[in-house]
Amino acid sequence: MIVFQYIAEALFYAFMILTFLGGFMAVRSRMLMHAVLGLAVALIGVAGLYFHLGSPFLATMQVLIYVGAVCIMIVLGVMLGNTPDQLTTKNFSGRNLLLALSACATGFFTLFITIQQTKFAPAAQMVGDMSIRFVGENLLYKYCLAFELISVILLTAIIGAIILARGGREEVAK
Amino acid sequence: METFYSILPELIRIVICAACGAIIVFGNALVMGYAERKLAGHIMLRPGPMEVGFHGILQLVVDGLKLMGKQLVVPAQADKPLFMIAPLLAFAPVFVPLLVLPFSEKIQGFDLDVGLLLILAFASLNVLAILIGGWGSNNKYSLFGAFRSVAQNVAYEIPMLISLLAIVFMTNTFSLRDIAAAQSPVWFVVLQPLAFLIYIVAMVAETNRAPFDLPEAESELTAGFHTEYSGMSFSLFVLGEYANMFIVCSIATVFFLGGSSGIPLPYFEYSGAIWFLAKVYALMFFLVWIRWTYPRTRFDQLMNFCWKYLIPFSLVNLLITVVMVKLI
Amino acid sequence: MKSYFSELFTGAWSLIIGLKVTIKAMFRPIVTVQYPREKLEITPNYRGHIDLVKDEESGSHKCITCGSCMRECPSDCIVVDGEKREGVKGKALTVFTLDFTKCSLCGACVEVCPTDALDYSNDYELAGFTREEFHFDILKRLEERA
Repeated sequence: MIVFQYIAEALFYAFMILTFLGGFMAVRSRMLMHAVLGLAVALIGVAGLYFHLGSPFLATMQVLIYVGAVCIMIVLGVMLGNTPDQLTTKNFSGRNLLLALSACATGFFTLFITIQQTKFAPAAQMVGDMSIRFVGENLLYKYCLAFELISVILLTAIIGAIILARGGREEVAK
Repeated sequence: METFYSILPELIRIVICAACGAIIVFGNALVMGYAERKLAGHIMLRPGPMEVGFHGILQLVVDGLKLMGKQLVVPAQADKPLFMIAPLLAFAPVFVPLLVLPFSEKIQGFDLDVGLLLILAFASLNVLAILIGGWGSNNKYSLFGAFRSVAQNVAYEIPMLISLLAIVFMTNTFSLRDIAAAQSPVWFVVLQPLAFLIYIVAMVAETNRAPFDLPEAESELTAGFHTEYSGMSFSLFVLGEYANMFIVCSIATVFFLGGSSGIPLPYFEYSGAIWFLAKVYALMFFLVWIRWTYPRTRFDQLMNFCWKYLIPFSLVNLLITVVMVKLI
Repeated sequence: MKSYFSELFTGAWSLIIGLKVTIKAMFRPIVTVQYPREKLEITPNYRGHIDLVKDEESGSHKCITCGSCMRECPSDCIVVDGEKREGVKGKALTVFTLDFTKCSLCGACVEVCPTDALDYSNDYELAGFTREEFHFDILKRLEERA
């Protein structure tokens, strides 16, 4: 069984590298389209990590919703915009670079020091088998309020989208 | 070494699954490519391919060899990495859904309790591939094809999911094997005829086939999102399309036509796969049949049909199903 | 609301009728002709390139080498030449060539011919690898036919 463990370990690092590379591509790419695809790669990597953690349900939902729906919607938005122009402007130079570096350093050290000083309690034992039935029952009985509150965010997003779309149309009509 | 031997069966299983997946994908493309051209021919009162082999039976093999021998042309202004990745992304994910399909009671790669979700998740990657290919080609036709593909796929995914959800409510599981097993006395096509019809329509739209083949509408967009593709990168798109057809037809078989159930044969746990494949190919024949019957829809008709007919009907169907499940 | 449903049903019914039409067509015999294997009879009215008419009495052509066709041709693709021979009235035809690469198939040569020596051929299988293959020697073609 030790071989399986090595395989699992290797998969973990593979997904981690995939996530990291995707994130790097998303941040560092100068083409907006490449950045979004980097995001998609990072999300697939995260889905892999979920799978590695023993929750295939979460992994498939991650791919289905984030890669299959959210990323595609972002890509569609990017495609409607004019991207090649952005190649000419460099964002990371001079003062911007300095500011970015200092902001990153601040964030990094704040987190780093906090993590260093925190005493972590051992992770709670995984309860249940993380099957769909288990996840569903927990979401709809134990964490029902949180689940419903999250759906309010979606509702807000939908209303916001409708308002934006309506506003745009009226302007065109004038 | 004991540990190695203990995982050997599992390793062999994985290798066999991968090999079977490859056989299904390529074999299906050969069979369907030939069948489509033959059926298209006979519908138009002409014989179809006749020259290579008996009644042109080797035509697809020769075509495949020709496509492999062709040069991969990358347009000068194209986004090269994206242009090259897109066909791979269209082709590679089709192997995953094949792993969870229950061909018979005992022939199945892996039985996951999220089987359906897995298939839908990997099917949605196909849209991303079309988008990347269309955008990476840096061609107006390709871009328009990609736009249409997204609008169409996002819209038709909704009635497809809702119609399948009605079945999931009845069976209480996402596992494809359990769903197939749940319809041993009556197939769900009898209990859920409306969901079946909605699924069939959405399935045609999801695989971008006529009459919903707007992403590659020849008359207005040359070839849509794969206008710039040649040789093997083009054939990967085609292989992906045929494999997707196989997958959506398999889902229809599992959800509505009783999976591998049928007239008992000897060793039915294995030979049920014959019935399964027969049902899948009957549905594929239907897909080819309607492709060569109906003219292409206009884009507003396509969207109206989805949002005004399919989605309301599938929602009503879901509501009735839920009430019935609760009452019975 | 009523039209919503009636549209749905008439639409679905028309789709079923469409399917019926194609499934019937699928089992009907094919109507196309498999060209290189089988060929259709070409209509005698087909206007291909020009050919000399074979005279039934003499077994040869009826050309008197007047050169009308050569002069009439708008694309200058006909060359006619003859020589004076002993015991023959008029000139005897020695050269009659057609540059079919330039011919526009207008038929002016056939119309103008005073002895009806020219006619359209029924030859439609014209394909070649070089331009020279379409510089027809009409006289030779007549002899080959004879």
